Amino acid sequence: MRSASKNTLLKVVILGDGGVGKSCLMNRFVSNQFDEHSFHTIGVEFLNKDIEIDGETYTLQIWDTAGQERFKSLRTPFYRGSDICILTYAIDDKTSFNNLEMWRTEFSYYADVKENNQIPFIVVGNKSDVIAEEREVSQLEMETWCNENGITSCIETSAKNASNVQEAFKMAVQHWLRLESRADKNETDINDTVDLTKKSGDNRMSCCVGSSDD
Amino acid sequence: MEDEFDDYQECFSQEGILLKEAPPSHETYIDSIGIIIIHESKKDGEDLKKFMLEWKPNDITIDSDVQYQEWAVVNTVQKRYRTLSGTIPDPHVKFRCLKINFDIIKSFKVQNKGRQLTFYDGSSEVLCSFLFQCGNCDVLVAALKTHLRIGTSKRDRQLYVIYDSDSPEYQQLNKSFAALNIKHDHSLWDFVKNIKDNSYEGSLGAFAKVTNIVFSSLDGTRYPDEITKDDLNNSITELGDEIVHSMAPSLEDGVSSAFQLPPRKEFVRCNPLTEEQWDSQLNSSGQLEDVDDIKMSIFKGGVHPSIRKEVWKFLLDYYPWSSTHSERQALVKVKRDEYYRMKLQWKSFSKQQENNFLDYAQRKSLVEKDVARTDRTLEFYAGDNNINLQTLKDILMTYVMYNFDLGYVQGMSDLLSPILWLMLDECDAFWCFVGFMDKVMSNFEIDQAGMKEQLTNLHVLLNFVDPKLANYLVEHECGNMFFCFRWLLVWFKRELSQEDVMRFWEVLWTGYPCQNFHLLVSVAILEHERNALMEEERGFTEILKYINELSGKLDISLMICKAEGIFHQINDSDYLSDSVRPILGLPVIGTNNLDSHEQSPFESPDISSTGTQPCCSVENVRISPDEIAYEDSIGSNFL
Repeated sequence: MRSASKNTLLKVVILGDGGVGKSCLMNRFVSNQFDEHSFHTIGVEFLNKDIEIDGETYTLQIWDTAGQERFKSLRTPFYRGSDICILTYAIDDKTSFNNLEMWRTEFSYYADVKENNQIPFIVVGNKSDVIAEEREVSQLEMETWCNENGITSCIETSAKNASNVQEAFKMAVQHWLRLESRADKNETDINDTVDLTKKSGDNRMSCCVGSSDD
Repeated sequence: MEDEFDDYQECFSQEGILLKEAPPSHETYIDSIGIIIIHESKKDGEDLKKFMLEWKPNDITIDSDVQYQEWAVVNTVQKRYRTLSGTIPDPHVKFRCLKINFDIIKSFKVQNKGRQLTFYDGSSEVLCSFLFQCGNCDVLVAALKTHLRIGTSKRDRQLYVIYDSDSPEYQQLNKSFAALNIKHDHSLWDFVKNIKDNSYEGSLGAFAKVTNIVFSSLDGTRYPDEITKDDLNNSITELGDEIVHSMAPSLEDGVSSAFQLPPRKEFVRCNPLTEEQWDSQLNSSGQLEDVDDIKMSIFKGGVHPSIRKEVWKFLLDYYPWSSTHSERQALVKVKRDEYYRMKLQWKSFSKQQENNFLDYAQRKSLVEKDVARTDRTLEFYAGDNNINLQTLKDILMTYVMYNFDLGYVQGMSDLLSPILWLMLDECDAFWCFVGFMDKVMSNFEIDQAGMKEQLTNLHVLLNFVDPKLANYLVEHECGNMFFCFRWLLVWFKRELSQEDVMRFWEVLWTGYPCQNFHLLVSVAILEHERNALMEEERGFTEILKYINELSGKLDISLMICKAEGIFHQINDSDYLSDSVRPILGLPVIGTNNLDSHEQSPFESPDISSTGTQPCCSVENVRISPDEIAYEDSIGSNFL
């Protein structure tokens, strides 16, 4: 918890349509468990989990909300103060992919992130375990959407078979770290041309990762 | 008044205020809780500032800024949303604030030990009246006194008169204030602000200081008339002296003890209603003899599982309580036809129709996703291709056709699951589900207003029963009670075992001992967990986590007993419970107080030459920590 350790605490919000596997991703990541018949989330839940990156330990406070549009006004207050937003869809559900835009807009609006700060979004296509015939969203579509929307991190996961779940959260933190270091530089070296060059270099660095069992 | 309002700025606000009486334009907001704001005109250089009173309802338990932002964002991106939720701008949003210029207000009266404040127009007509849910109106009255020229009525010490700027009384007062040289002294206002901003101790210090200032101003000064003296005495008494003295004890325990609840009685659960008891109530035509007696028995002990299937059909308004055996047989036949007709409507859609009917397809997709995630750990719903899951889906889809505008909302499958498990009949389960939905419909409505209202009411009830805990929650950004959302949405379905939830629901369906009894059960649980909730300075995240983790650990029978005790405490309490009684559907006791007409102070010819009144005549002046903290109250951010 916040006071119990000196680790950096990062607030992570998982968003996406109902049934894409938000809770399952969280539970796989936090307790390495998968319950095929778990309940749909009502209200808001959250779990904490430590993750180590480059020798540093970060405590992720992962927030999981009900996906149905109806509960929007009771969900959006939780966006405030987020460090990372994981936009989630299911690869066998095209609608959930099409709604990423809506989720991104909703989050951007309510998260109250400072204007100059880029919001660390990562896109996660869950249920990569489904058979090829059931896939409705290709990896290329995901990458294209991310490129069009300036999102540099995306990954396909399976909460069911644990594929890429740890990687997705690790990627999220790394993405946050990159933005942080950039923000720090901006603060110290305003109008520094060298810094701008560095920024564009960062932007080109894509880290989209496909599902390991594809 | 709307345009004029732009020239005003806020100079005082207090939350947790229930609108008790209002002009016809705002009658719909009566019994709503909101915030009082006093605005002053921004124009500098004017000798006389104008003031305006505003009351604004809390339309939501979360940050009001967020709420308004939401309307704004929704309007700009409306097309993206396929469902209607949250996309309908509230037509009342602009007009719902009650605003009254202080030019119109001629007097106000403090009643019910400072818990009620009524404004009058000078002709014995009530302009509006407010109940202070947390604490009292002392701070507000003090603020008014710093801004307006106010005297006390000779006849009624609780009635305050606001003097017009051109009245002789005002002119006189103005002179006297000038003589006292405190007209532009901000100390009074500063310390009122202190109450809001500072710690308890700090505020007490400020009181002491201000008392000194006022006293020293008085020293050696001859006041020109009695009203001034009277007015100052009141200020001193109310804001200094008495507070310092009377607050000392409550400072120690940190609880406002403005009133005491009657002692809580112990209740026990009884045995469930048995088959014999039930049968003995049925006459020869199958009619129930004493419905109230049956309901009371069910409230006290629930229903024995052997007759539950039959009794639930009554509790869920499928069978009328007064029906005969043959009437029920006929009813079932009609309802069966009706159900299958509705089911056929959606079952007969072609794939093409579905594709052309997006609203339907979306509802269907939601149902399918949730059915697969409802009570799958129960044997009844376990395994692949489970026929009962199919029935669950069919009932929910038929309900979508039955109430297409409401559609399917998450949580509904939770409510249906135990009903189908018990009924084992698709048609019976459907109509019982309809009855349940009719009772909790507002939980699922598009704007979520029902849930927001419940969360607000829960805080009001908790504040009445356990103000210290309620206050703690407000101070720790939990005043919105959001952490109880799941409890209230599906009536503890996710917190209790199947058997417990069925017992709990049938108790609630009786409507005994009052409406919204589930809120009292929630209060009982929170009170039961109060030490854990308040330990280690837990904040919103910790409390949310703690409450979520209570799932599966609640002793619901014990909580029902405690809630019953709480109900009787409120019911037996004096008129101070009037703010909570409407929530429970109980008649308000103190209506007589509201009807009392203003004694017009203007009738008195010798208003300006009144004799010295004893300082102690102002009763029960208290400023509790509740009301101070309530400043940051329900509207505070989650995080």
